[in-house]
Amino acid sequence: MQVTGQLLLTVLMGALLLGVAVFLARVEDWRSYTPLGAGGTAGESGYVSQEKPSGIIRWFTTVDHKDIGLLYGTYALIAFVVGGTMVMLMRAELWTPSNDASLDLLGSATFYNSLLTSHGITMLFLFGTPIIAAFANYLVPLIIDADDMAFPRINAIAFWLLPPGALLIWAGFFPLPDVIPAQTAWTMYTPLSAGVGAGNQSNVGVDLMLLGLHLTGVSATMGAINFIATIFTERSEDVTWANLDIFSWTILTQSGLILFAFPLLGSALVMLLLDRNLGTTFFVVGGGDPILWQHLFWFFGHPEVYILVLPPMGIVSYVLPRFAGRKLFGFKFVVYSTLAIGVLSFGVWAHHMFSTGIDPRLRASFMAVSLAIAIPSAVKTFNWITTMWNGKLRLTTPMLYCIGFVSNFIIGGVTGVFLASVPVDLVLHDTYYVVGHFHYIVMGAITFAGMAGIYYWFPLVTGRWYQRRLAKAHFWLWMVGTNLTFFAMVLLGYGGMPRRYATYLPEFATLHRIATVGAALLFVGGLIFVYNIATSWVEGTRVSSGDPWNLAEKNLNTAEWAWFEQRRETALADGGEEGDAVTDGGKVDADDE
Amino acid sequence: MATETEDAHDEGHHLPAVEDWPRGFGEASWWPFVTAAGAGGIYVGVALFLMGFGDTNIVPVVYGQATLVGAVGLFLVGLYGWLYHAFVSHFWQRGTDEHSASKLQWGMIAFLGSEVATFSGGFVYFFFIRSGPSWPPGELPPLLGSLVLINTAILIASSVTLHLAHGAIRKNNRGRFIGLLGLTLLLGIVFIGGQVYEYYEFIAHEGFTLTTGIIGSAFYGLTGLHGLHVTMGAVLLGIVFVRSLLGQYSADRHVSVTTASMYWHFVDAVWILLVVVLYVGAEIGGGAV
Repeated sequence: MQVTGQLLLTVLMGALLLGVAVFLARVEDWRSYTPLGAGGTAGESGYVSQEKPSGIIRWFTTVDHKDIGLLYGTYALIAFVVGGTMVMLMRAELWTPSNDASLDLLGSATFYNSLLTSHGITMLFLFGTPIIAAFANYLVPLIIDADDMAFPRINAIAFWLLPPGALLIWAGFFPLPDVIPAQTAWTMYTPLSAGVGAGNQSNVGVDLMLLGLHLTGVSATMGAINFIATIFTERSEDVTWANLDIFSWTILTQSGLILFAFPLLGSALVMLLLDRNLGTTFFVVGGGDPILWQHLFWFFGHPEVYILVLPPMGIVSYVLPRFAGRKLFGFKFVVYSTLAIGVLSFGVWAHHMFSTGIDPRLRASFMAVSLAIAIPSAVKTFNWITTMWNGKLRLTTPMLYCIGFVSNFIIGGVTGVFLASVPVDLVLHDTYYVVGHFHYIVMGAITFAGMAGIYYWFPLVTGRWYQRRLAKAHFWLWMVGTNLTFFAMVLLGYGGMPRRYATYLPEFATLHRIATVGAALLFVGGLIFVYNIATSWVEGTRVSSGDPWNLAEKNLNTAEWAWFEQRRETALADGGEEGDAVTDGGKVDADDE
Repeated sequence: MATETEDAHDEGHHLPAVEDWPRGFGEASWWPFVTAAGAGGIYVGVALFLMGFGDTNIVPVVYGQATLVGAVGLFLVGLYGWLYHAFVSHFWQRGTDEHSASKLQWGMIAFLGSEVATFSGGFVYFFFIRSGPSWPPGELPPLLGSLVLINTAILIASSVTLHLAHGAIRKNNRGRFIGLLGLTLLLGIVFIGGQVYEYYEFIAHEGFTLTTGIIGSAFYGLTGLHGLHVTMGAVLLGIVFVRSLLGQYSADRHVSVTTASMYWHFVDAVWILLVVVLYVGAEIGGGAV
């Protein structure tokens, strides 16, 4: 029966790859992409061939931070589609409580566990980290006015380590004989993940996933070293520490966290691989004990949460003021709170382990730090709200996503404060409440901020407009879908529904169905997003000015748009295109294409 | 980028990869892709090896071995091309501004920060077992013999000679620089030899291996990780040594001497910590059962 699900996933994967292949084949002239959109005549000036080769070779050989940013972005979005498809299969399976008719879809609860594991790993390591690297690569050098990243070649190496990493992580799903995809969940707790006991987790599928994870960790660490060196040494003379922008601050802090978190995970993964294959005792009972894995994993894992959330907070802090008509309120305190979160994030890891029987005094101190970290997060939230207070809001799509971010972040954050408290956590641990809480953060906040960034900088990258109506449909589907899905999960958790199960008691059916309906809305919204981006990239209305968001009138323009304007002028002088489009949220003359 | 004009370049946009293969493109290089393909291939090779390892006979073991050998080769080729074009070729034509030096030094500092985290995993494991209920672990091999003392002295001496070599190139004393650098490299290799000899003694004569109880994992895990780092440090010093023999470096051009030194001193410091924590820490109160 498991074959059905496997087949389904293989077919989906095949269809995806076919789609990518068809897309690649349709794009005839790879050189035609410029940051100002296709078809500029600059391509024939003869100078281009001095910088990059034409055709697809350009993308394999590029050391340009903007190109690498686009590669990261494409990679992350492909991973997002894969991870999203995995979770849609799970939500469909959860439509009915028991494992009779519905489980036929997936074949077995075992396969459900595999999907659950891969969904988490894919979204956190193959979507979350790379999409942030995409923004950071493209924008940080532009904003701080650097030539490029400090180490352009290392930048390219870091990206090209990711595809083999994904291949290994997903390898369990490929039709390899006798390889079972890992079912350890993304936390990979020992002794299950060490392969002992009666289960099938001694299967090599787990090893493949661990190897792939290690590779993506190496990639993230190389990227972090590069960003630190870039922000420290590549700033132009007029970009000082005092006027460094908020996005670069969050990337710098995030890179600092990666520097200490990811290598430790790497060591832990190698130790686990040795335990599994060479008979060492790192996580064996009587050796380091399974609890050692939890300590090492969460010493990485909790900073990882902030690795994923700080840069999106930076995007929101950067984009939201543009459409609030005011400068960011309390800029300094947003920076300080970023740094405070960066430091505190290494002191909260054991709040994931309150129910493991660790020393109560240890629990109390971790509870205190975990509650304390809510303070800098709240400082940021109040700063975003006060930025909008009495502002002249323009409800463009990026702005809607920023506001959605703040709203979802409040729910995700407040549910988190309760979990930080030991007695509450002991009740809610391992229930859907936890799942709802962190999905409010990773989907409702992080992904929303990512979308704000994608829509906001779409004109910068492509020189074209996205389709406004589709973008707004995307936002509302996601806003409603996110709150339906994850609020239902919070309620399920209050009801005592444990997480990670393919089956459940009949009384949970209604809330599970609400969650599945919400997930379907998210899926439809996601399809609209992909369609919008793909078609607008090729044939969207061209941007008609160097300041597409009309930021200059409120004196809110930033460095990357100055770069855009400069490039645009040189392109125009070269016989660029004309076209007219108004800003999203400005007057719309029925030109939505 | 396609829309850039010559004027834009004159404003100072530098092209990082003019010399790389493919030649003649300012921002294109195959080396990162080749290096990453090699590195990724190493992981795939290990994966294939594990798929054929022991009683999991999914693919023949030789697939994994062959992939590993090929991937390591590819990785080294990529590494050579990358390092050659980024640092070695046109050594004397490149600028010597403060900026590019501090960029590389910051890169090395950040990398060493990540190394602290890498080593922490093994150390934390040792702290766990050393303070846990399973300690003492029974019979220990003679950890604190003359070998480890001599080896430690050798590694510390190599840090001193490297520091002196660095001082020599700052004063443009090339002969002294090359001599001391060569001596450092030699001491490093002797240290690695000493480690190999210690492993041989423990495994062949003491029957103390990776799977000998909880201390075996700690000992071989930590010294193995450190040994890999010393080996990599020796490779870095070897590259610097070869470049110095080719006539590179001068009083105002020695960034890679600086960064390689930072790495070597770091690995040396980790060794001292390792000796104190693991060798001494296990012997004190650990031998008797």
